[in-house]
Amino acid sequence: MAEEQKKNENQKRRTATKAASMIGPMVKELIAATHRAKAEGKKLAYTFISCHYEEIVRAMDVVPVWTENFAGICGAKRDAERFLSRAESLDFSRSLCSYALCGIGFDQWREDLGEMPPDPPWGGQGRPDMMLSSGQILCDPRNKWYQAAQQFMPDVPNYNFSIPWPLYDDDIELTEIEPYYIKYIVSELKGLIAFLETQTQKRMDYDRLGELVNLTERTWNMIWETYELRRAVPTPMDTGDAMNTMVPWAFMMATQESYNFFAELNRELKEKIARKEGVIKDEKYRLLWGGGLPAWFALKDFNYFNSKGAVFPVETTYRLIEPIYRLNIPDTNDPLERIAYRWFRYWTYMYDKAKKRPGSEPDVERLIQFIEDYKIDGVVMHEAFSCRTWHLGLIWQLSQLKKIYKPVPFLTIGPDGTKNVEHRELPTLILESDIIDINSYSEADTRNRIDAFIETLESIKKQREN
Amino acid sequence: MSVYAAGIDIGSAFSKGVIFKNKQTLGFCCIPSGGDYRATAEKIKKELLSKTGLSSPAPIFTVATGLGAKMVGFADVIRTELSCHARGIITIFPSVRTVVDIGDSYSRALRIDEHGHLLKFLLSGKCAGGSARILKKIAKILQVKLEELGPLSLRSQKQVDFNTNCAVFAESEAVSRIAEGASKEDLLAGIHRALAAQVNNLAERVGIEKDYALVGGGAKDEGLVKAVELMNGFNLVVPSEPLLTAALGAAILAEEMAPA
Amino acid sequence: MEEKQKGMWPLVEKYYQDYGSRARELKKDGIKFMGYICSFVPVEIIRAAGFVPFRIRGNVHEPITKGNTQLETIACPFMRSCFDLSFKGHYDFCEGVIIPHACDSMTRSYSVWKYSLGLPYSHFVNVPHTVNAASLQFFEAELNTFRKSLGRYAGKEINTAEIAQAITAYNQLRKKVKALYELRKTNPPLVSGTEMAKLLTVTAGLPVEEANLLCDQALDQLPQRTAPSDKKFPRILIDGACIDNIDLVQLVEESGASVVADDLCLGMRDFWPTTDVDQDPLKALSRRYLEKLNCPRTFRQSPGGSLSDDLQARFGDMGAHIKEFGVDGIIIYVYKYCDPFGFEVSARKAYLSSLGVSILYLEDEYSAGTIGRLRTRIQAFLEMMG
Repeated sequence: MAEEQKKNENQKRRTATKAASMIGPMVKELIAATHRAKAEGKKLAYTFISCHYEEIVRAMDVVPVWTENFAGICGAKRDAERFLSRAESLDFSRSLCSYALCGIGFDQWREDLGEMPPDPPWGGQGRPDMMLSSGQILCDPRNKWYQAAQQFMPDVPNYNFSIPWPLYDDDIELTEIEPYYIKYIVSELKGLIAFLETQTQKRMDYDRLGELVNLTERTWNMIWETYELRRAVPTPMDTGDAMNTMVPWAFMMATQESYNFFAELNRELKEKIARKEGVIKDEKYRLLWGGGLPAWFALKDFNYFNSKGAVFPVETTYRLIEPIYRLNIPDTNDPLERIAYRWFRYWTYMYDKAKKRPGSEPDVERLIQFIEDYKIDGVVMHEAFSCRTWHLGLIWQLSQLKKIYKPVPFLTIGPDGTKNVEHRELPTLILESDIIDINSYSEADTRNRIDAFIETLESIKKQREN
Repeated sequence: MSVYAAGIDIGSAFSKGVIFKNKQTLGFCCIPSGGDYRATAEKIKKELLSKTGLSSPAPIFTVATGLGAKMVGFADVIRTELSCHARGIITIFPSVRTVVDIGDSYSRALRIDEHGHLLKFLLSGKCAGGSARILKKIAKILQVKLEELGPLSLRSQKQVDFNTNCAVFAESEAVSRIAEGASKEDLLAGIHRALAAQVNNLAERVGIEKDYALVGGGAKDEGLVKAVELMNGFNLVVPSEPLLTAALGAAILAEEMAPA
Repeated sequence: MEEKQKGMWPLVEKYYQDYGSRARELKKDGIKFMGYICSFVPVEIIRAAGFVPFRIRGNVHEPITKGNTQLETIACPFMRSCFDLSFKGHYDFCEGVIIPHACDSMTRSYSVWKYSLGLPYSHFVNVPHTVNAASLQFFEAELNTFRKSLGRYAGKEINTAEIAQAITAYNQLRKKVKALYELRKTNPPLVSGTEMAKLLTVTAGLPVEEANLLCDQALDQLPQRTAPSDKKFPRILIDGACIDNIDLVQLVEESGASVVADDLCLGMRDFWPTTDVDQDPLKALSRRYLEKLNCPRTFRQSPGGSLSDDLQARFGDMGAHIKEFGVDGIIIYVYKYCDPFGFEVSARKAYLSSLGVSILYLEDEYSAGTIGRLRTRIQAFLEMMG
């Protein structure tokens, strides 16, 4: 009975693109491949997404085990609770990052048994030979998670490399600080390489590293161009699918397969656009997923939006790329410098633009860019309670957006009957739950909020038509 | 002949109904929701019908709203309580632009335009923080009736600060304050201030524009209303039947939507 | 008690109860104040620029209200209280706010502070996570960026001699505080944990000269005290992040224990490390704040590779203090939503239990109401220690 209920809840989200429907098996294969690699004696490393070390890890033939991916899978399968509560029993507060809690709970269980915990989701997370932490400027768990996990596998070395970027500040000239940032990042990347060389007893092949950097840059451009196709009306792909197609971006970067995936998606979207085939037949509202990681156990809510005539042609989440040609990376043959510049300039890309609009900030500026480029009618965000990294500041971003950006024309009639056009802010919605902790989620509550938001969009649309 | 229009609002504590024809309220009722929303809805329908003075069942067009809207078997249309509150309040007070509904499981802040269209809304977080639930719990602890909370609180002499936002923790904090010797009156005033701050935060986040109305069960508590007024430095408007706003809005929408 | 015997305590009490009152007085005389949060902001540079660094403090007795309209409740509750008070104007004598890259709660809220408070000056100090030659160089450059930025606002170039002067003044303060801690080594201690918590909290809102004066007076007066009683209480160390209200310490002491040491930001974590004076001031500051200040947000590569080496490298300083101060029991006190400390509780417990001390772990919000709820657990812990 309980099994059946779980299955029902697990009913697949309806995808709009063929590419997205292929993701499930791809992820399963990614995890199976780590188990095969382990059996073949290859070195496994715990890794975090979007740390720009993919090329280095792959060039050293180290196999990445993406711990955020595994936690997300547990969440999507609605099977995270037993790992979360295990971590809690080890004195890890339930208010901490639930990805990390899930991973630590799983690891401690595996170490305790000397084998995978019972019924491990998709074969479980393989025991690493090393862990690659990354202290950046956001995401404390990237700095603390593996250190905490090491308590339960004391023989597994944990290496932390720090790659900062500057926060937006009006009184800072990027050109003044960039040199010392690049110098430090390059030095930290070198430290990581030295660590990997010791662990694998191999030397880095810098030619191969250079090729992988090229491949990554080409993949970034391909992702950008492909996602930009979603500007089409009706949009051929929405955020629901993008939460799947993030897989080859996050977990397969610096591989030919990742590039090929997006090239194929590119072709598929172009065909759909030629046929005027949208995610839904009658596209009434175009929404921006403006912040927050998704609730992995409730991706079907995207279908619910669709059923109300709403689509998401664009999202800020998992779109941590810019076309490389816009970043103006200085001419250099040193692959480490190219990685460092890509990192620094990606994070600071919006700063100049933000400076030009009083009261703006890079995050808000990105929202405005997407609202304009994708003809957006409303913004939706998700507050996941356990993650401060991506969810703190969302309320403020929306209130700042409201202050500086009012694109909705609105007819008012004064007491003397004169008509005036005022401009108001875009309607916004904040959903609340978590990335994988299902206790935080209520379907009825979420859908009630979505319904009310749709009613708001409806009344604004009516007035616009009047 | 036009049909009768009904608005039914099934909330977590109370269920409300309004029957309406030719822009006139013919009758209303309000009963505890209980554990069987379907039966509750039927009961309300029966009672509303009796208020039309018709002996035989007349055709009724119904808009259902609230937490249990889907359980109203005879509903023709379902709308969220947010849109219904918006329409309801603008009919009672055309000057209102900001509304906070202080319900049993949630509080909801709304910004509306002069036609009663919803412009923006926010709901309080889960775990009943910022909702009227705490008032029920406190009444139980102090063994006083809900309607006594307001008058008692207004007699407070001394400031007692209340720190917690979550309804469950607030209960245990209340108990420790009693153990420390705080009087009923001061304790209630403290709780009212804390709840008022939460309610008002929601309103601030949607942007307060006058007039500012309080509705829902919490609006029946004059201690809470006073606390929100003090926080803003101006008077609020409260309908005489604050529980009925959403049901009234639903009835108005029903009359508009009903086939002629 | 005679007025004379009371010494500077009534003043400490006044400043504690009305934190910022001295700043408001001094502001009338034209003295400028610069707000900051967290121990990672190099106060020496602020001081050298001609401002009094003012550590923004929360208040467990004041419910967080208006701040919640700007900032999510999933942020660190201590920081939310600091922000709430600032947003309500409690610290409007500050001309600006400086926030360091300590944790996500601070980094992510920087914009909120900057725009919501609308202050003339704000700056974010980036702090790297690793400790090595390159990170020290990077941090030195970042401190130089801060120096230039603050100098532009102050309308002057902050020179090396001024920074060196400020370093000396703050080193003096740290040494005096260390001397005061010596008085806690006796059994029973000559100064209570509650008194120390009050004094240290107050110093963070005063010009360093006045803070030094208060410590001098305390150092004159306290050794003349006779031990309050012969009764020996269990000796407790409190381990956690920033505790800037006395309520927890007071609760522990009321329950029949002496708080004799700590591992806290307004305590040994921040007051123990001094700045080297034999090298370039910015270089010395980068060493103090990155290498010497031991906070879980900074990663220290394990030297030997074994877990016990790693724990020793991370918590060895606390282990030494436990010995030095004759500590019997530890209360690990961590705020909800604190990722840097929250992920360490298990390791801290493992390390501390290897030393054979009793441990109580408490997770809390930042409010007097929730602290009150801890009474029974604290009493039971002390009873268990016997």
